[in-house]
Amino acid sequence: MAKIVVDPITRIEGHLRIEAQVEGGKITDAWAAGTMWRGIETILKGRDPRDAWTFVSRICGV
Amino acid sequence: MRAVEHALNITIPDNARILRNIINAIQAIHDHVIHFYHLHALDWVDVVSALKADPAKTAALASSISDWPNNASASYFKAVADKLKAFVESGQLGIFANGYWGHPAYKLPPEANLMAVAHYLEALDFQRVFVKSMAILGAKNPHPQTYLVGGMATPIDPNSQNAINAGTIAQLLEYAEQAKAFVDKVYIPDLLAIASFYKDWAGIGAGVGNFLSYGEFQNDNLPNTTNVWLPAGFIKGKDLTKIEKVDHKKMTEEVSRSWYKYAGGDDKPLHPWDGETTPNYTGPKETYKELNTDGKNKYSWVKAIRYDGVPVEVGPLARMVIAYAAGHKEAKGLIDFVLGKLGVGPAALFSTLGRTAARGIETKLIADKLPSYIMELAANIKKGDYRVANTDKWEPSTWPAEAKGYGYHEAPRGALCHWIVIKDRQIANYQCVVPGGVNASPRDAKGQRGPDEEALIGTPIAKPDQPLEIIRTIHSFDPCMACAIHAVDANGKEIVQVRVR
Repeated sequence: MAKIVVDPITRIEGHLRIEAQVEGGKITDAWAAGTMWRGIETILKGRDPRDAWTFVSRICGV
Repeated sequence: MRAVEHALNITIPDNARILRNIINAIQAIHDHVIHFYHLHALDWVDVVSALKADPAKTAALASSISDWPNNASASYFKAVADKLKAFVESGQLGIFANGYWGHPAYKLPPEANLMAVAHYLEALDFQRVFVKSMAILGAKNPHPQTYLVGGMATPIDPNSQNAINAGTIAQLLEYAEQAKAFVDKVYIPDLLAIASFYKDWAGIGAGVGNFLSYGEFQNDNLPNTTNVWLPAGFIKGKDLTKIEKVDHKKMTEEVSRSWYKYAGGDDKPLHPWDGETTPNYTGPKETYKELNTDGKNKYSWVKAIRYDGVPVEVGPLARMVIAYAAGHKEAKGLIDFVLGKLGVGPAALFSTLGRTAARGIETKLIADKLPSYIMELAANIKKGDYRVANTDKWEPSTWPAEAKGYGYHEAPRGALCHWIVIKDRQIANYQCVVPGGVNASPRDAKGQRGPDEEALIGTPIAKPDQPLEIIRTIHSFDPCMACAIHAVDANGKEIVQVRVR
């Protein structure tokens, strides 16, 4: 059984990995994996709530 | 920011609401144009095939779909073809390197490919200019710098050169008009022309069929107001006859298949106010060929985000489907126009093509709307209202000892919400549930696939070593996995690994 791995998917923001099983020329199963840890929640603990927006907007602006 | 405003019960002033609406609109237009041309178009457009195009025939095709000035010019298309030829002959395709050129799933004739490549390059110029409007209001893009808990940090003063004044309004209107022209005369005609060759993709990539939008473009100043221009709602199982009201309490995250550990058990869904972020990597060591996705193995850093227990798709398609079902006048008119042009019914929306079309439709809706927000700002300033922030609760001494809040936003890529718990004037817990994560969710304890995963099922693969079809569907979601570095080797060449077992 063929399993296709695309890692990283380019022309996107960040890191995404796709593994897909192909049978008879069609995808029969698929897994999407984020391959990067974000961790912004950990960074924010204990900080001033008024500063939160400027930290979290760094995850992704859009 | 909205989560903090909600927790502290802060009502923002009119100008702040209008400025945020303008910034949201600019960002959506900018982001969608870049996505269509620079991140997604080359999944449908074969750059190398464009070399075979006849520039005169290309001009005939292009001028038949739009009166955009360059479209009628054979010499313009010849210049683009010459530029492209120089790239190919030098063996350095530059921005066009690493495509699956010549793949059998590419269906456009050479002239349509050349037209699209020309507009890819024009869109680069357009976005470079249009983003100046973002610089005026947000200082930079992405990550605008001018927000403030309680409102905005951009001063308004008609008598100052260093504040939003009549000149700013005039500039913003000019950029908005340019955007409207580009969307009307380039983006939408190109989208329709390209889509007409790929109608089979209206039957591929449907996904989970559950859609969520928090609603955006606020009409009043209350935190998480439901009085919005693009409606909020939850649609289950593609049922356009029923829109459920959104309740943030139904949003959960679980980590049974994600590399985290929950104190009370990984299979137990947690509401983000009670969210935990304890990493627990159990995957293979670098360098590995495949993840172990069998059984109950963990395989992603993305949590399984569910609404009311089911995976939900978020983004332009979700917003447009909900607006369509809600009978939103402008949205319904445009969606029906596009479906009619392509000769397909509303069911075609639930597909890879529908997702890409919905993004274009939304761009036009927002580009049409943007000037009215700028005029609203001008009218408010004219009334003598220069207030941009409500600072009544700026001082932590005015806050309660404990507060909880959430903040809805419809980002270009979809529904986004942050949840905050404040204790003793500090952040005790914070969880961001972002659109890229919602769509790229892994399986949950019940074995339900995430939206990206589900959308791939049944997708045809012509050449397993060049899985262009996977890229098409994944790109149709416009994934945003956190603004981050790309994998670049020592020579600056982007590495893409595709393996077939």
